[in-house]
This record gives sequence, structure tokens and C-alpha cells, in this order.
Amino acid sequence: MTPTSRSETASTLRALSDDLSAAVERAARSVVAIHARPRIAASGIYWRDGVIVAASHTIRKEQEIAVTLPNGTRTTANLVGRDGGTDLAVLRLDTPPAASASLPEIAPADALRVGTLVLAVGRPSDDGVSTSLGVISAVSDRWRTWSGGEIDRFVRLDLSIYDGFSGGALVDADGRILGVNCSALARGTALTIPNATVDRVVDALLTRGHVARAYLGVAMQPARLTNALAERLKLDDPRGVLVVMVESDSPADRAGLLVGDLIVAAAGTSVAEPQDVAELLGGEQVGAALELKVIRGGERRTLTVTVGERAPAGEARRRGRAS
Amino acid sequence: MSAALLAAAEAPAAGTSLTSELQGLAERLRRVTVRVATTGARFDGVGAGIIWPSSGQSIVMTNAHVVPRRRGDQLVVEDDAGNRADADVIARDAERDLALLALDAVPNGWPTAAFIGDARALRAGEIVVALGHPFGVGGALSFGIIHAAPKGDDSWVRADVRLAPGNSGGPLATLDGAIVGINCMIARGLGIAVPAHVADRFALEVLAR
Repeated sequence: MTPTSRSETASTLRALSDDLSAAVERAARSVVAIHARPRIAASGIYWRDGVIVAASHTIRKEQEIAVTLPNGTRTTANLVGRDGGTDLAVLRLDTPPAASASLPEIAPADALRVGTLVLAVGRPSDDGVSTSLGVISAVSDRWRTWSGGEIDRFVRLDLSIYDGFSGGALVDADGRILGVNCSALARGTALTIPNATVDRVVDALLTRGHVARAYLGVAMQPARLTNALAERLKLDDPRGVLVVMVESDSPADRAGLLVGDLIVAAAGTSVAEPQDVAELLGGEQVGAALELKVIRGGERRTLTVTVGERAPAGEARRRGRAS
Repeated sequence: MSAALLAAAEAPAAGTSLTSELQGLAERLRRVTVRVATTGARFDGVGAGIIWPSSGQSIVMTNAHVVPRRRGDQLVVEDDAGNRADADVIARDAERDLALLALDAVPNGWPTAAFIGDARALRAGEIVVALGHPFGVGGALSFGIIHAAPKGDDSWVRADVRLAPGNSGGPLATLDGAIVGINCMIARGLGIAVPAHVADRFALEVLAR
């Protein structure tokens, strides 16, 4: 019995297959392995000269972190800073990698579209890169992670994020990077952190060592005025957020905000949920004046709060131990 | 967008589309993939097998775990057209999870053997397909890519492809229809296959005895 001969190559699929493996090879030149936790290594991306981006949850040590470069050689790096809110960490290589790693080609922001064929490229060991194939399954607006990080676009993936893939690259069929993959921000769901967010966090970590988070020092809950009171005060919307706690010596305390105040507008926007206030408090607001319209004792008042900065988690812990 | 995706978007509906190419590939693989059924007093199992090239008798390659060693079990192989034949296990390699079956009598119209490729040349990201009978569904195609280039000459083939029980013993193939692996297990979601050249070496050793 003779084997059947190879028939003519499936042309379109073959071209796609060649594109995919070429894309993996291109991305592999920027994807490194990071050995900063027991057992399985995790991935990282050579993002800027001498700088590696990784997933914060995979980094369990801060100094002399072993890094396997794309050409297989090992070197060391130190943690520059991390941001639990976006699960990103920045490492600096002790010696520049010269030709053994190259900076990735960055895809433009509009490349993030539902249905785009994508590859996750990781380096979970010293044995080379590994990959998985899928599509971008959802893209929506800016969102806030449960740990408070601001992410420019919500990008959900329909592909497998295998062990050690966090911190690796999401690339398109041309090998251009669309973001940093992470499985720890939304209960194991495969997500990608878009390039714009990564750049913003890398800038913050390189200059300040942490990502600034705005801070008022209040606890709030939704509440509403009676229709009669809302009418008397000429409010279109009877809803607001009730201040239920004011931390002493906080920006809110210094501005004279009291427990029982009902905030109906912040920065000229009406608010109905604590989340509405939080959305107005990006890291860039630190130091800025925030105008709050409140109802106190049945009367309207306007208070101006100078937005403070929340201490980074690590520093808060250290301070807490000291006191 | 990659050149291939642009080409696919512009390709005429018939003949050259991605879908028709995949359909053609699935058909070619179905012709060389058999159902391997074991019937015994305590166990009924279905796996897949591959009609393997040989200069002499008609043989089928499958996984050792698809044809457990039990006295009195009856082994039947069936091709895609429904041709059935009784078969016997002529050799096993438990370490590599391989078993070689020989047909007692070759039915009329039994397909020609599969084309065997080389797993050592695989690249990460290359498209591969698996054919088998996941959960008993006959002749099902799974689409995926090579997860990582082989670590060594005889290392397992790792594919980002969705497999299920019933894929065992079936082919993992490239777009040419060349068999590069014999699917044998699922590890943390990854499809793991015995490299085809390792299986071929096993077949040659057995047949040379």
C-alpha cells in the first residue's frame, strides 16, 4: 500500500499559517522569561531601553531577578516599581541587552477591534517561546479594576492564557504588540492591558516609583432627597451620595466636608453613586481643586477640596508597621 | 492586517476560501482516520487510529491506552466510509503510549495510508488540525496552532488545540495533510501528541521483526 501523495498546498491557509509563525518569531525577540517566583517562570516584554514590563502578581522578589533573554542567555534585573491596580511591574536590566533583545513594534490603538485574530506569546521557561491563538472577543471603554487601577480600554480575549503567559505579549498577525496579557485582573479571565495604559504606568513607575491615586478621605453611599426638597432647591435630579465617614486630616476634612452632607455634583457633573465621584478622581487630579455641591441642613453649599494622593500600598504597610 | 488575511478577505467565495480549504483538509484526514472500538465484558471504548503506511500488511497506529490489554476483548476498526475489519494488537510501546494494530482481513475499498510528516520542522504559531471522535462524535475537526517549537528531536508535540477523550490515537496534521503527531493527552488545556517520526520508527521496528 502506498501513501497518498502530498496534494497541492492549501494556499490561503498556508499563507496565514506562515504569517502566524512569522508573527510569533518577530514578537519572540521582545519577550523574555522572568524567574521571580517559585516553580514556573513568567513572561515579560522588553518595552524600552533596559526596561522590562511584567505582571506584578508574578514578581515575588525585588532584587537580582533572573531574566532569560530571547537569545537564551540569562541576565539579572531589579524591580523599579509595581502597580497593583493594573497588575503591572517595571524591571530594569543591570546591563543593557545589546542585540539579544529588541524593542517591540507597537500597534496603533485602533488595532484593538473585536474579531481581530491575535496570538498570545509567552516565555514561561528557558526552552523558548510558546503561543496560543484566538480573537479579541470584546473591547469597551476605560474601566477601573477592583483594585483601583485605571485601564484605558477593556480588552477581553478568546484564547488560552497558559501558565506563565501573564506579562507576555498580545500580538496581531503582523507581530505588532497590542498589549500585555494578564490573567489576574478579573478572576482568571484572559485580558490584555492596552499599550497606552502600559506606557502611562511605565512612565509613572520610572519617574516616581509608584502610580499616583487620587484621595479624598470619605466614605459614601447613594441617597436621595425628598421630591419636595429637591423641588425647593431647584435640583433636576433628587439623587446624590451621602457622606457617611470623613477621615480626620484628610483632604475632605480640611475642606470642611461633614458626615451627613449629600454630594449632588462634583466638578460640575451631577453624581448619584459613589462610583460617579471615583470616576472624576484620576491620578492626574492629585493636587487639583475639586468643586463639590452639597446639601447640608436643607441648604445648598459649595465646598472646594484639594485632591490628595493615596499612599502606595507598600508604603502604607511600612508606615503602618512603624507606628 | 496580514497579507494572508487580506488575501482571504478578497478571495472568491468558492475554491480558494479558508473555509473550503479547511473542509478539503478535514475530508482528506477523515479518509485516513479510523474508529477503534474495543468491546469486552467490562469495557467498551472508542478512540481513533491512523491508517499507517507499510510495505506489507495493512496496519493502524493508535494509542496504547485506546486498546487496553484485556483477555477476550474484541477489537474492530472502522473507516469513514463504514468499512469494518477485525484487528489485533501486534505491538505496544507503553512509554510512548503507542500501539500498532494489524487488520485480520482488508475490506474492499479500504483507504490508502496517511502521509507522514516531520514534527521536528514545526514552528510555534504554525496552523495544525486534529481529527478524531471527541466524546464519540465521529470525524470531528479541531483547529489550532503549534504551541511551541519541539524541545528536542523526540519531544512531545504541544499544540494549542482543543482535544477531548475520543481524540486519542487520532492525527495531528499540518495544512498539507501530513501527519505530525498522534494525539494522546491533554495537559493543562494543551494538546499533547507523540511525534509522527517516533511512531513511524516504532512501526518500522515492529514490522522488521
